[in-house]
Amino acid sequence: MTSKQNIDDSPIDFAEKIIADVKNSKEEGVLKCVQCGMCTSTCPAARHSDYNPRDIIERVLEGDISILEDDLIWNCFYCYTCHSVCPVGNSVCEVNQILKQIAISNEIGYDKLYEYMGFADSYFTAAIGAIPEIFFEDIKNDVPGWWEFRNNLADIRDELELDPPLMPPKEVIDEVSKILTITGFKDKIEKIRASEEAKQ
Amino acid sequence: MRDDLKVGVFLCECGGNISDIIDLDEVRASLDVEFVGQFENLCSLNGRKIIRDAIFDHDLDRVVVAACSPISHEKTFQDYVKPLNPYLMDMANIREQCSWVHSDKAKATHKAITLINASIEKVKQSDAVDPIYCQTPDEVAVIGGGIAGMNAALSLAKQGTKVTLIEQSPSIGGHMAKIGKVFSPVKIAEECGMCLLNPILNELVWNENIEVLTNSKVIEAERRAGTYNLIVEKSPRYVDTERCIACGKCKEVCEVEVPDDWNDGLSTRKAIYRPFGQSYPESYVIDMDNCTKCSSCVKVCNMRAIKLRGRPERIPLQVGSIIVATGHKLFDMEKRPEYGYNRYNDVITQSELGRITGVNGPTKGKLLKSNGEVPKRVVMIQCVGSRDEKPDGHRYCSKICCTVALKNANIIKHKNPDTDVVICYTDVRTPGMFEKYYKHTQENEVRFIRGRPGEVVKKGDSFIVRTEDTLKGEFIEIEADMVVLSTAMEPSDGTREIAEILNIGTTEDGFIKESHPKIKPVATDVQGIFVCGTAHDPKDITESIMQAIASASKVSEYNYGGVEIEPFIAEIDKDKCILCGDCISRCKYKSMSIQNDEVYIDPMACTGCGKCLVGCGQKAIHVNGNIDEKILATIKGVLSNKNDDERMILVFLDNIGYTAADNIGVNRLSYPESIHIIKVISVNRVRPNHIKYALENGADGVFIGEFPGDLMYDEVERKVDRIKETLIELNENPEQIMFSKVYIPYFTGLARKLTDFDKKIEELNL
Repeated sequence: MTSKQNIDDSPIDFAEKIIADVKNSKEEGVLKCVQCGMCTSTCPAARHSDYNPRDIIERVLEGDISILEDDLIWNCFYCYTCHSVCPVGNSVCEVNQILKQIAISNEIGYDKLYEYMGFADSYFTAAIGAIPEIFFEDIKNDVPGWWEFRNNLADIRDELELDPPLMPPKEVIDEVSKILTITGFKDKIEKIRASEEAKQ
Repeated sequence: MRDDLKVGVFLCECGGNISDIIDLDEVRASLDVEFVGQFENLCSLNGRKIIRDAIFDHDLDRVVVAACSPISHEKTFQDYVKPLNPYLMDMANIREQCSWVHSDKAKATHKAITLINASIEKVKQSDAVDPIYCQTPDEVAVIGGGIAGMNAALSLAKQGTKVTLIEQSPSIGGHMAKIGKVFSPVKIAEECGMCLLNPILNELVWNENIEVLTNSKVIEAERRAGTYNLIVEKSPRYVDTERCIACGKCKEVCEVEVPDDWNDGLSTRKAIYRPFGQSYPESYVIDMDNCTKCSSCVKVCNMRAIKLRGRPERIPLQVGSIIVATGHKLFDMEKRPEYGYNRYNDVITQSELGRITGVNGPTKGKLLKSNGEVPKRVVMIQCVGSRDEKPDGHRYCSKICCTVALKNANIIKHKNPDTDVVICYTDVRTPGMFEKYYKHTQENEVRFIRGRPGEVVKKGDSFIVRTEDTLKGEFIEIEADMVVLSTAMEPSDGTREIAEILNIGTTEDGFIKESHPKIKPVATDVQGIFVCGTAHDPKDITESIMQAIASASKVSEYNYGGVEIEPFIAEIDKDKCILCGDCISRCKYKSMSIQNDEVYIDPMACTGCGKCLVGCGQKAIHVNGNIDEKILATIKGVLSNKNDDERMILVFLDNIGYTAADNIGVNRLSYPESIHIIKVISVNRVRPNHIKYALENGADGVFIGEFPGDLMYDEVERKVDRIKETLIELNENPEQIMFSKVYIPYFTGLARKLTDFDKKIEELNL
C-alpha cells in the first residue's frame, strides 16, 4: 500500500503533542528514536502478543493517530523495562500511557477500562487499590499457590507474628472519596460504567 | 599631554560594504583630528602606502583605522603603521558591528562617528609596548607508546628533535600489538598487524633521538615560560634490560601462573614474563604483585640480569612541548550484565575474539569455544556501551566497531566457512572505502539483522540472543554458541590522569579536547600541549597516525618559530612585593609562582585579567598597557557623542564574545543601533568604577557577556551581582545591568539577547 505525504501534512505534530504532555518525563526522547528495537527485544508483552513498543514510537513519529484506536496499546502493563533499557533515553511506557489517556478523553477504550472498574470502586470503599474479584479466576489459574495464599493470609500473618493488615479508617475513606469526587474521578468512572452498561 | 597627541583616522570604504550604508563624507566632516584619510580597500598594499605616508607627512603619534573587525585585520594594520609601535593603532569596527547590522543610513552614520570617536579617545591612552616572544626548549615528551605516540615520536626524531617516549606498561606497542589482523579498505583484505607495527617499532628503537622509558608514568608537571618540568616515575622492572637476552629460562622455572592480560586473560603467563614476542625492551619483567620471591629465576639466569629488589626511580624531565597519546580502553562489561559477559565463557568481546583468532593468541589462531569445539553460530552485538544514554553508557558512536565486527566476521568465515556469523546492528557505519569492505563481507555470507538485542540468556548448551528484527517488525530469539560484544572505546585511565596532571581540558566524555574541532584538531587548550590518537576520540589506526604526524608538525612549528604573546600581562614591582603569595593563589590560570625569591609570572599563561591586582595589599602588581584608562576613555568617547533622544547601551565583550558579535554582522542579522560593543582583553577588567561612570554619564544600560568556559566566568558573574546590589542600595534600578553567557557559535542568541535588552531598557526609560 502506498502512503502519501502531502506538502501541508505535519506528521511530527502528533509526537510534539505527546512530548508536551505532563506525563512525559523524557523531553525529546521520542524524537531521538532510531528504531533499534531494544525495547521490543525485552518487552514481555511483545513476547506474548503482537504488541511492539518500537512500532508504537514509529507510528507516533509518523503521525499515525489511528494508533489510538488500536486494541494493542492496551497490552502494556507498565513494567517499565522499555523505559529502563532505551539507549536514547525514551520511554515507550510513558508514551503508551499518554496515548491511552488521549484515547480515553476521546471516549475510546471504555470497554478495556470497564474490566478494571473494581479497582476504582475499591478506592471509594476502602481507600486502597484492591485486585478486582473478576480477576481471581485468572490469577488462580496462572499463579500456582496464589489462591491458597490469599485464603490463608490471616493464618500466615499470625504465624509470622504480624498484626492484622492495617486498613484505612472511615475518616480516611471518606476523605479519599471526597477528593475523588471533587477532582472529577467519580464522574468519569460513572460515565464509563454507564456507557458500557448501556451497550450491554 | 595625551590630548596633544596627533591622531590620524583612516576610513575604509571596503568596496562599498561600508560606504553604501555609512555616509563617509559626513563622518569625515565630523572628525576633529590631525589627519583623515579614506580609501576603497585600506587592507590592500596601496592602503599601506596611504597610511605610512600620512604618518610621516603629518608626524602622527596615533592611528585609528575605521574599517572591518580587528579579528579580521588587526595584524595587517599593526604592520601597516610601522614605524609606529603596533599597539598605537586601534580599529573602529564600522563594518561587522555597524554597516552590516544596521540599515538606517542616518543612524548607522551617527553610530560610526561614535565608534570612531571612542577609538580616538582609546588610542590616546595607548602606550608603546612590545610583543613578547617566547622560545620554548626543543625537547619533547611523548606520553603513551601506542601506535600514535610511536609515530609522533618518530616523526619528531627524524626532524632532529630529542624525544622522550614515556610508556606506562613494560613494552611499547599499545593495542595494535595485540589486535591480530588489521584491515585495509583498499586491498579488501586482512593483514598481519604485527608485521606492520614491527618496522615502526624497530625504526623507533634504533633512532638515537628517541629515549624510551617503559614502566613509567608522568606523576607531576609544572609549566614555566613554555618549559614543562615533568617528574616521571619509573617502576622497577626487576630485570636488567642491558643484561637480559630474553632466553626465557627464568620463565620455565617460575611456578606462579596468572591470567595473561596481553591475551585478555584467555591464557596464563608466569610471574616473570615477556609481554609478547616482539615486545620492546627485548627483556623479561617481573610482575611483583604476583611474584613469591622464590628466587628460582635468579638461580637459572646465566646473565645475572634478575634483581628481586628495586625501588621506583624519579626522573626529572625538562621539555618545551608535550604530545599526549595516552589512548583508550574498552567499555567495562560489568556495566551491562544483561549480556552475560561475566557469567558465560563464550560471551566475549571483539578484542578477545581478536586474540583467539590471532596466531600468537591462546589457541594459536584456531577459532574455538572454551570447551575446545568450533562454534556453529557466532552472534555479534554492536553498540555495546556506545550510542547509549543509559547509566555509564556513552552517547557517542565509537566509530571503529562496525568495521572491527566486519573484519572479525570475515576472519571467522576464512577459518570456518561453515560457522554462521550474524551481526546484530542498529546502523552499519562504513563511510568511504569501508563500504566496499561491507559489501565484501556480505558476499562472504555473513548475515545482518537490524535490531539491538536486549539480552543474552543461557539455554542448555547454547545461548539465546533476544532481539527484534526491526525490518520485519518481529521479535526473534537467535540461538548461538558464541556471542561477541562490540564494546565502546572510552578514555584510558592514563588519559584521565594525564589530563588532570597537565591541567588540559577534556570533553564531557573524558577525552582530551582539541582547542578547535575544525581548524585546530591537534592543539589542546594549553599552549605547547598537543594530542593524538584515541586519547582524543575514538578513531582507527590510520587516523591515529595522521593525527600523530600532525601533532609532531605542530611541535616543529613551535620549535622553529617560537611563540608571540600579546604584551598585556601582569607585571610585579619587586621593590613593593613582600612575597605574601596571595596573587599566586588567586590566579585562576596558574600563571604565578615563586622563583628565586621573586614572584614570577609566566607570560604564556597570564591573560591580563587583573584578578591579582585587586587583592595585592602592596599594590605591587600592574597590568601592562593602561587597560583601565583605555576602557574608561572608550566609554567617555562613546558617550560624548550621545544625542539627547538617543538610547545608549554599552556592551563589554572579550575576544570570544566579540567574535560572536562579529558573526551577527557576517550573517547579516541585526540588532538596535543603541548597542555599542567595547572589546576588552578580559571581561574581568571592566571594574565597578567603569560601570558607575558609564551609568552616571549617559549610558542607559550595560551588558556584560562572558564565555562560560572562561576560568573567570563565576568570578565575573559574582562581581556583576555585587554591582547590582550596590545599585539597589543607591535606589537605582539593577535591571540596567545584564550579565549573559556568550558562545561563538550562538551568535543568533546574542543578537536576540541584545535586542531584548534594548527593549527592556526602553521600557525602563519610559
